[in-house]
Amino acid sequence: MDPFLTSRAVSDILGGITNGMIYGLVALSLVLIWRSTGILNFAQGAMPMFATYIGMVAFSHVFSYWPCVAVSVFVGFAIGGGTERLLVRHLYGKPELNPIVVMVGFLIVLEGAAAALWSTQPRGFINPFSPIDFQLGGKPVALSAFSLYEIITALVVMTTVAVLFRYTKLGLQLRASALAPEVSRLLGVRVNRMLTLGWVLSMGVGTITTILVASNFFTGLTPQVMDGVFAFGFIAAAVGGLESPVGAIISGVCIGVILQFVGDFLNSNYIILVALGILIVSLMVRPNGLFTKSTARRV
Amino acid sequence: MARFTRRHVVTSGCIVLAVAVSLVGAATIRDGVALSVALVIAIAGTATFSARGMRANHPTLVRVVLSAVAIDCALVSTFFFSATTNFNLAIGAAMSIVLLGLSFLTGASGQISLGSSAFMGIGALIMAMWANHHASTPIVVTLLIAVAGGALAGLLLGLPATRLRGPYLAGMTLAFAVAFTGIVNTFSSWTGGDAGLQLPTSATAPHWLVALFSVSTSPFVTNTMWITDITIVVTGVAFFFMANLFASRTGRAMRLLRDNDVAAELVGISLSRTRVIAFIVSSAYAALGGALWTLINNSVSPPSYSFALSVTILSLVVIGGIGTIPGALIGGIIYAYSANVISWITTQTGLNPQGNFASQLNGIIFGGLLIVTMLFAPMGIAGAVRHYWLRRRAGVVTE
Repeated sequence: MDPFLTSRAVSDILGGITNGMIYGLVALSLVLIWRSTGILNFAQGAMPMFATYIGMVAFSHVFSYWPCVAVSVFVGFAIGGGTERLLVRHLYGKPELNPIVVMVGFLIVLEGAAAALWSTQPRGFINPFSPIDFQLGGKPVALSAFSLYEIITALVVMTTVAVLFRYTKLGLQLRASALAPEVSRLLGVRVNRMLTLGWVLSMGVGTITTILVASNFFTGLTPQVMDGVFAFGFIAAAVGGLESPVGAIISGVCIGVILQFVGDFLNSNYIILVALGILIVSLMVRPNGLFTKSTARRV
Repeated sequence: MARFTRRHVVTSGCIVLAVAVSLVGAATIRDGVALSVALVIAIAGTATFSARGMRANHPTLVRVVLSAVAIDCALVSTFFFSATTNFNLAIGAAMSIVLLGLSFLTGASGQISLGSSAFMGIGALIMAMWANHHASTPIVVTLLIAVAGGALAGLLLGLPATRLRGPYLAGMTLAFAVAFTGIVNTFSSWTGGDAGLQLPTSATAPHWLVALFSVSTSPFVTNTMWITDITIVVTGVAFFFMANLFASRTGRAMRLLRDNDVAAELVGISLSRTRVIAFIVSSAYAALGGALWTLINNSVSPPSYSFALSVTILSLVVIGGIGTIPGALIGGIIYAYSANVISWITTQTGLNPQGNFASQLNGIIFGGLLIVTMLFAPMGIAGAVRHYWLRRRAGVVTE
């Protein structure tokens, strides 16, 4: 058998892509909200976490995976839309500080509420995919049925978002109301509805991401499961540029691979340090991200 | 001057209210008496020196007197407080230094940081590390070394921060706060990893002071009291410097930068230099607060300097009032008593103290207050009070 596929470097690349897809999805959901409403959502990890808990508890007696997933995603949509309508709507046009502070507060409230309701013990999300690596000539390849499921789901979600934005009338309206709200309103686009829809979409992506993270046999669902993932996802989004969905996904995957190498060849303690270093260096070189076209700021 | 003006009425009203509140609210009679004496001195001093002419003609003198009065009555009251109250007071005073630093960064220069907990942790660790290697260094020198370490870290993180706008900066400092535990564990041979470090010797009150006040066999000046006094003096000095900085040329430059950075650059203010200075000052203050916590607790436990602490700090700054000096004090007092209040709520509502809900109450309450304050009173308690006074002075009748 070909020893190449089971070599250390290839294993790291495969494992890194699996993680990187998750970071890319979080980054994508951040970019969706940033582009539609100009807010960096610090509760982007906590809101889907809450939705996933509700979906899981709703179906905790059935022990079947797909209904739980469906319920979680729908609750995620509802939380996204509800938050935009009830909380975020009061923050448009306020100083930059206000939305950041409110969303950080929301993050803490949601994490506290989840821990209060369902305790901090990890809950397994029993799913039909095996976490055991495929074998090739007696040696493991760093791919399992579960990681294939993660990668494929991520690709499907990304393609769906891309198709929606590029080829549908709804996507055109979403882009128009983000770019020029006044003109869009004059042309008959319901801009407020589009803003809500941006949050709903983003929360859908976020909930699917959280389900993937929580389905992982080795993590399970805890109230703070998304904290670390959010940090890496934010780093990916900032490196790629908060304006660019493609940049977010590409830098997410790249960061996943780099960090996998760091964790394997150096020490797992260095992972977050290297990630921070990447963030600082890339922001010093291109403060608006690597994939954003330079734009003059309006005064 | 014998005219009985509204200022006199308000001042005496405040004094009566302060005495009543402290007598009713304090745990013991001795605490209550001490608290009311301190408050009476404080209010009288403030009222005298906040007279309009004084403030306008001798601003620095007024600040010196105010800090001295505040330090003095806090010191006097520590002699009467119980050990627990003193401990809470010290923790809250150290926290108010951190709050002041963040308040300055956000309120005066418009930057936002979620990394305060990490800077606190850096100060706390440097304090413990230095004391473990050079036990004979005086406390003040060790504190200054911790401050210098925090300032250096602030410079390193502040350089990229100058080019970033709000959300990017917040995210970057958040990543720093999350990375802090990783950093500590990477250098665990120095920092002790998650287990943390102990101070080699606990700070003890000097013999002459104990001898001076020792009336009977039991020493009157305890070590807790001594540490609290150190903390209070340091806090007072830190507040004095910050009050001057707020009013100085640099402080005014920062406020202009916050309100309109293009205008600031046009009148010759260096954008990046001013922002880096603000970041350095803020992280140095955070490190000072952390170092004092190490002194008070006699040990440092790095896991407690987590992202959650950063959020608590941010909430306290927002609730107290961003960019105001009284706001930082209010936040510190709230922090000192938050644990008591939360346990009171727990017992009153009959929750299981070991249960899930009670253990999460702290986060839920602070997060909720953060949202509510930001939505309905973005300038916090101090801002709302100041707004009310300005309206009163302008003669606007509020219904």
